[in-house]
This record gives sequence, C-alpha cells and structure tokens, in this order.
Amino acid sequence: MEFQVPSLNLLIVLPVLIVTGWGMLLMLAEFFIPEEKKSWAPWLTMLGLVLALIQTIGLWGYNGGTFTPKGGAPMVVVDNFATFLNIIFLLTGILTVLISIHYLRRTGLDRPEYYMLLLFSVSGMMLMGMANDLILVFLALELLSIPLYILSGFAWPRPDSEESAMKYFLLGAFSSSIFVFGIALTYGSTGTTSLPLVLERISDAGMLGLVATAMLIVGFAFKVAAAPFHMWTPDVYEGAPTTVTAFMSVGAKVGGFAAMLRVFVAALPQLGEAWVPAVAGVATLTLIVGNVVAIVQPNIKRMLAYSSIAHAGYIMIAVAASVNSPDGVSAALFYMLAYLFTNLGAFAVVIALEHKQGEGVMLDDYKGLGKRRPWLALAMAYFMLSLTGVPPTGGFSGKFYVFRAAIEADLLWLAIVGVITSVISGYYYLRVVYLMYMYDGEGEVVANRALVWTVGLTALATLVLGLLPGPWFDMARDAALQTVQMVAGG
Amino acid sequence: MTPGQLALRSLIVGFIITFAVITGFAYTTLLERKLLARLQGRIGPNRAGYIPVPTRSGKPRRFLGGIMQPAADAVKLFFKEDITPAKVDRWVYTLAPMLAVIPAILILAVIPWAGEITILGQTFSPYFAIAPGVNVGIVFVLAITSIGVYGVVLAGWASNSKYAVLGGIRASAQMISYELALGLTVLVPIMLADSMDLGEIVAAQKGVIDWFVFRQPLAAIIFWIGALAELQRAPFDLLEAEQELSAGYTVEYAGMRFGMFFMAEYMKMIALSAITATLFFGGYRGPFVDQVPALGFLYIGLKTFIGLCIMIWIRATLPRFRYDQLMAFGWKRMLPISVLNFVVVGIFIVLQEEGILQPLFENTLRFLGIG
Amino acid sequence: MVEQIVFILVSLFTLITAVVVVTNRNLFHAALALMASFLGVAGLYVLLDAGFLAAAQLLVYIGAISILIIFAIMLTRRLMHALESPFNSQWGLGAFTAVVAFAVMAGVIAQFWPVTPDSVTPLASRPEVSASILRGSVAELGRALVSSDAYVIPFEIASVLLLAALIGAIVVAWPKAEDE
Repeated sequence: MEFQVPSLNLLIVLPVLIVTGWGMLLMLAEFFIPEEKKSWAPWLTMLGLVLALIQTIGLWGYNGGTFTPKGGAPMVVVDNFATFLNIIFLLTGILTVLISIHYLRRTGLDRPEYYMLLLFSVSGMMLMGMANDLILVFLALELLSIPLYILSGFAWPRPDSEESAMKYFLLGAFSSSIFVFGIALTYGSTGTTSLPLVLERISDAGMLGLVATAMLIVGFAFKVAAAPFHMWTPDVYEGAPTTVTAFMSVGAKVGGFAAMLRVFVAALPQLGEAWVPAVAGVATLTLIVGNVVAIVQPNIKRMLAYSSIAHAGYIMIAVAASVNSPDGVSAALFYMLAYLFTNLGAFAVVIALEHKQGEGVMLDDYKGLGKRRPWLALAMAYFMLSLTGVPPTGGFSGKFYVFRAAIEADLLWLAIVGVITSVISGYYYLRVVYLMYMYDGEGEVVANRALVWTVGLTALATLVLGLLPGPWFDMARDAALQTVQMVAGG
Repeated sequence: MTPGQLALRSLIVGFIITFAVITGFAYTTLLERKLLARLQGRIGPNRAGYIPVPTRSGKPRRFLGGIMQPAADAVKLFFKEDITPAKVDRWVYTLAPMLAVIPAILILAVIPWAGEITILGQTFSPYFAIAPGVNVGIVFVLAITSIGVYGVVLAGWASNSKYAVLGGIRASAQMISYELALGLTVLVPIMLADSMDLGEIVAAQKGVIDWFVFRQPLAAIIFWIGALAELQRAPFDLLEAEQELSAGYTVEYAGMRFGMFFMAEYMKMIALSAITATLFFGGYRGPFVDQVPALGFLYIGLKTFIGLCIMIWIRATLPRFRYDQLMAFGWKRMLPISVLNFVVVGIFIVLQEEGILQPLFENTLRFLGIG
Repeated sequence: MVEQIVFILVSLFTLITAVVVVTNRNLFHAALALMASFLGVAGLYVLLDAGFLAAAQLLVYIGAISILIIFAIMLTRRLMHALESPFNSQWGLGAFTAVVAFAVMAGVIAQFWPVTPDSVTPLASRPEVSASILRGSVAELGRALVSSDAYVIPFEIASVLLLAALIGAIVVAWPKAEDE
C-alpha cells in the first residue's frame, strides 16, 4: 500500500470544520470548566462562530470544490453563493447566542448542550449551501434539523415545549422521508446524485424526473414552512424557547432555501417549465395563508410564526423567478439577508418582554411599551415596518428586488399577489405599533446589555439595507452569478 | 457443480451437523450437571444408564454413570403436559420457543468444521461447512446472535406475568449493551485476517503461535465476556435469576416448549464456543491437519469442549452481576476498552503495512539499550 | 424464473407484514410485524446479491432497532392490553392521499412497461458497476466510505449527525432538577 496525501482542499470546508470542531471542543471543555465559570460557554461559542465568520469572509470570491469522487463532480463546493449564505448562517448563530445568554439564565435552561447543538445546527446549515450532491444535501438537512428538534424541546418538562419538539420531530422525519424518496427517484432516473451530472442527464429522465422534482419540492416546502406544508409551524414556534424560535425562523428557513436554490437552479433548470408553476402556486398559497391567518393571532410568537410562513412565500417568488430572470437568485439572497436582521431583531424584542417562560408573549403585553421603553418600542416599530415592507427599510428593499425579478421573469401576477398580501400584512404588523403607542399598560421588560446590543445592531443593519441597498445587492448579484455560471459550465 | 447440487449438498451437510449438535446439546446438559456437581463436591446424576464394570469386591462399579440421563430428560419433557396458561398471548407464546431455537441452529451454517476434505468422493472446498465461502460470515454470526434475544423477549412479554416480563426487559437491555463491545472486538480478527470469511480467518492462524489469542489476548477476553453476556450465561444470567425472578422468562412454560429454551441455550453455547475457537484459537487447525484433514473435526471438537468446560467452570465460580453493575460494566468498561483496542490494532496494522513498525520497534529497543 | 417466484414471495411477505404494522391494534404485535417486514427487506438484499447489506440489515434493524422498540413498549403501562386504534378521524383523507400517490407512481412506472433491459430509457444511463465491486463488495464498500475521492465527507457528516443526536438524547433523558 502506497501512502498518498489525499488530494483534497480542506480550505474549502474549513469554516464548517471550525464550527463542528468547535462544538466538539466545547463538549470536552465542558468537563474542565468549573461549575461557577459555566457562563463562559456562550462566549466561547461566539468566539468559534466569529473565527468561522472571519474565515468565511476570507473565502469571498473563491471558487472551488473538493471531495471529488472518481469521474464525478466535487461533493462540496464553495462559491460566492455558498459564502454569502454561510455569512448569513454564521450571523444568525452569533445573534442567537447574543439573545440567548440572559434568556436561558432567567428561564433555567442554561446548559452548555444548548450551545453545542446550536453549533452543530449551524454547521448543517452551512453545508446546505455548499452541498453539490443530493446525498450531502440530505445529510446536511438532517444535521440542521436534529439539533433543532432537541432545542425546541429544551424547555421540557413544560408541556408545550415537549409538544413542539414532538410535532417538529414527527413532521420533520416524515418530510425527510419524502425528500429521500425524491432523491432516490432522481438517482433512479439519472443514475447519479451529483448535481452537475443530474443537470446533464435530467432531460432524458421523463416522467420519473418530474415525480422526483415534485417530491423534492414537498421536502423543501416542509423545511421552509410553505403552505400547504406549514401546519407544524405555529405550534412549534409557540412552544419552543423563544431564542430557539428566533434561530429556526431564520436559520432553518434560509438553510432550506439555500439547498432549494442550489438543487433547482443548478441541477433542474431544464425542468423549469414544470416546477416554476408549482413553486409559484405554492408561493401564492403560502402568501395568502400566512398573511391572512396571522391577523387573528393574539400571541406574538404565533403571529411571527405565520409571518415567517408569509416571508417564505416571498422568497419562493424569487425562487420561481430564478430560472427566467438573472436576478432571481440574488433577490432571494438579498431578501434573506434583510429578513435575518429584521426577524432576529423583532424576536430580540419579544425576548426582552418575555420576563418568564411563556409569559409576556401576548399582543396585549405590548400596550404602552412606547412610554415605558421608548427606544425598544421604536426599534420594534421599525422592525414591524420592515416586515411589512415600508421604505426605508431592509424589508422594503428585499421585496422590491423580489418583485422586480418576478416581473422580469414574466410572473407579473405573482408580483401582484405579493404586493396585495404585503398590504394585508400591514394590518397585523402595524397593530403591534398601534398597541405600543396608543395604549397604556405595564409589564416587566428584561433587557440586558447583550440584548440591547442585538436590537441596536439589527436595527442599524435593517436601516443600512433600507437606505443603501445598492452595494449589498451587488454583492448578492456576485453571489448569484456564480451559481448561474456553474449551470452554464455544467 | 451446479447450484442445485451445491444446495443439495449443503442440505445434507446441514442435516448432519444439526443432528450432531443436537446430540451434543443433550450431552452438554449432562456435562454441565456432572461438572457442576464435581466442582461443588457432589456426584451428579449417575443412575440412568451405566456400564457395569466387575470389580474384585463382587459389586460392579458403575462406569459412565448417568450416560442415559439426557434421554430420560427428553422423555420426561415430551410426556409432560404442555400447559398454555389462560391469559397469555397465545400466538406469541407459541412463537417464542421457536424463535429461540431457530437462530441457535442458523449460527451453525458458517462455522468451518474442517479444512478442504474429501468425504465419499465429494470434495468440500475451500472448507467443510454448511455454507462455505460466505464472505460476510462473521457479520452473519453477529446478526443471528442478536436475533436470538427475540425468543427471550417474546416469551417474557407473551407470558403475561411480572417475573417473565422483568426477565424479558433485562434480556433486551443486556443484549443491546453487550452487542456493541462484541461487535467491535470481532473487528480485530477481521483486521488481522483481512477477511470476514470464517474460513479465511482460520487459514490466517497457521500454527499455534499464530493463534489470534496470542496476538490479541485482550480481544479474546472481551469477546469471551461478550459471548457469555450474549448467551445470558452466568455471571450474566440475570434474566433467569432464580432468587429474584423465579426463573424469569420461562416461568410460565412447561413441557417441551420449556425444553426448547434450554435447547436453544445449550446449542448457542456450543456454537459460540466453536466460534471463539475459530476466531482466536485456530479453529479446526492443529498439528498434522494439513496431512490428515479429518483431524479438523477432532480439533475443533476438542476446542469447543474446552470452551464449554470453561463456561461451566465460570458458572460454578462467579456470583451473578447486579443489574446496575451489569450496565456499568458493559458501557463504562467493555465498550471503551474494545474501542481503544480496535483503534490501536488498526494503527499498528497500518504502521506495519507502511513498513514503519519494524524500524520503530528496533529503534525503541536500541534506545532502551536492549537491541 | 425461480428467482422471480422467490422475489414475489419475499415482496409479498414484506408488504403484508408492513400492512399489519399499520393496522394492528396491538402495539406489540405491530412491532413484531415491523421486525418481520425488516426481515423481508433483508431477504430482498440477499436476492440482489448484497450479502453484507442483508447482514447489516439483520444486525441493525432486527437486532438493535426492533429490540429497542420492543424494549420501549415493554416499559409502558397496561402491558398486555395496550389496544390502540391506529385509525383517527382523518383516515379517509389519508387513504385518498395514499391512493393518489400510488396512482401517480404506478402511472409513471407503467410507462416503461413491458420492462426489458433496452426499453428502460431513463435507466439506460445507469452507471457501470465494476466487477471488482460485485466480487469483493465489503472491502470496496469500506474503502469507498473512507476515501477522499469517494464518500468520506458524507460518512463524516453522518458521524457528526449521530453525535448531535446522541447529545440530544442525553439532553432529553437527563434527569432535570425540579427547582423551577
């Protein structure tokens, strides 16, 4: 046996390696950190995520793949698309750690496993954007999901947290099995799971390829909580600890869209005639269901759950537009970046008001916040405006690019649906603002420094994305072009 | 040879070996009773069947006393009333004894009993077994032993009795805990022989000095402990602990169905003894086996017999584990040690194949001032 | 021909036991039927000449997973009388979905009828299986799992996944201090 240095480029997977390795190190460190210094765990986690973020930013502009099977395409690729998404995931992780520190302590959930599972989940998300092989997409999906199943049940034995974990687990497992079935059929019809090879062969696959595509859509739609596969979302979001809800409302959704864009745009554009109407239909249904049902929710976590369903609809518009418009993918990426800051900011405010576990999360608790905590209320109002899509906010810029891409892709009707539902969404988002400023009320607000920092940072980022979207959208465009080039190059 | 002929031959060999092992099972019960009695300073069964040897005093000495005891036991079991208690799950209750016996017989399929041998004009190549040349032989053995626990678990559940259920629960927990260590240890002979085929594992142990037990005594010990746990023999016989569970899972069984559980246990004892011999003690190999292949039967028979004697000896000597001790021993001792052992063996094999091991060894000796 | 008959029998066994799993009212019997169904799948692997997969199926699914399921059932209350109806109020909807899904799949597969090696165009591009894989499947499989020009990255990710699941299981099972 000859000893060979494996021909692989570990630089490409270095950010993921840092995150997973850091999770394992944390697990070992857990033994050696004395009990009274356990509060170090979040800061250590943050350090790992920041290291990975620095490494990821260093990879901007780098294109390459590694782990190439004999006669195949690389299993893991890094291009600006993946790097852009990885930055989103790492920022999500960092912000989640920031909002978690104090919340976990006051609700008695402060255990280091929380942060390890968070790190593993982040690494799964990062792989979603980098995976170039359906097997890897599936494994990344599971690595993303399994820690989330546990995290949503982290507040056990509180019954609604257990219910949340159980529901999420059962439906997640079910959707994963449909997804795997889709992969199996793709393999059956093309003889490969590698995305570039699927691209070459899918046009000969006939009906089998279409059925496979349908199953992949269902699998992704479950993950990103699009109607009619959204049923789990409100209960899971409501029952899970609020920090976990924040994390999965952004991370899991963006992760799902990352793989969805990669699979559908890079491997299945030839079946676009079939899946674009399907995705557009799902997007329409999602927008209507999410925005209309959100109106009647008295609980802010439930309301934000439906709101996140609705936002999945907007991103789906961009996905549907991504075949026929060069800006589809970049619009989706930009939208997700804006959504990350806005939604995490809104959840940070929700956490500030949730003084005890499961208390202070009703809309009525927001009465009078404008007088008690003017700055916090202002930030919340700004986030709500951004979610609605009122200029000058990141949410507005995101929606603008999405609708423009839809019109470019001859999906005018979809853009109109998007605008109408945005107007509907104004009702329930602005009601929060109305309650905060027009009523008097009292209630405890627990905002420590980390939380205030998070709210400030996310509000600032939303503002920047709203006022100066140009350079950021150009970045997203750089990221998207790479994907399209990969399509052209095979 | 056509597949049909091969299948027919396997069938015939299978019949012969199964009957041999069933006879062996009968006499293992006798062996156990006699040996246990001797170890405890008793005599054991000596009435049923003996050869009178005339002595000078006129009273004949009873030679091989108790030689017909197994037959007497069998007759007794067959003619006992086969009771099915009222509130059992009839279906599963009937299925359980069968599920206990079938795996015990299935394991015999891949054990090589002799090398390449010609009997009655038929050449058995590459070695004499019911199913020779199964390239995943050892995985098959592991899989079938793990299925063996179904008999116990189903019997425990179907009996609708507290003691039986406790026995069944203990059996399943014990099985899951010790299977891991067992499986990881089996990897060591696989790595040393570079094959999963039991015949090739035997072939890799040419002379006595090559027996894997000398190269990997730790693995052999762990395998033996794991095998005892898998057999639910003392000191791992918690599931039939007389003092606590009044015989555990068999408590509601009677007649030949009860006998079948014993049949399964003793046949598995024989099979696992033979497999231990195969994996670590050179299987059918021994002096002059290359010249006279028929000696293989003798050697593996002898090694199996010694294994059985050691099992009985352990039963007579060691007290039973407590349940928490059992779990702690399995997960905190056996599993880490076997993982470590397996990793170390892997590293050494790679070093050897790279040619690094030899100079490393010599340099170490030189450094220590020995070489 | 013989192979086809065996295949049909094994498939029928697998399917029938699978139906028993979802319709039986007795949880324990359903678990047993599940084990039998796994056994049928192992039989299919044997028919496909995948001996190692069959043994692994026996070892993992029947020897470990089913035993765990049965273990869990035995720890529940009302041991012998846990008769739960597997049907809920939505069974009609479920049946409708199942039938539609089946019809779609059957329709797609029917397009390839009659199946001969030449007629299956989408499957014509299936990759060549080298003879070495068929001969020494276990060694090839092992090498493929740890080679950097094969499947090492899915393998490693699967191990991280299992680690995460392990931590999760400990989190869920760990006794919780009742001080809240």
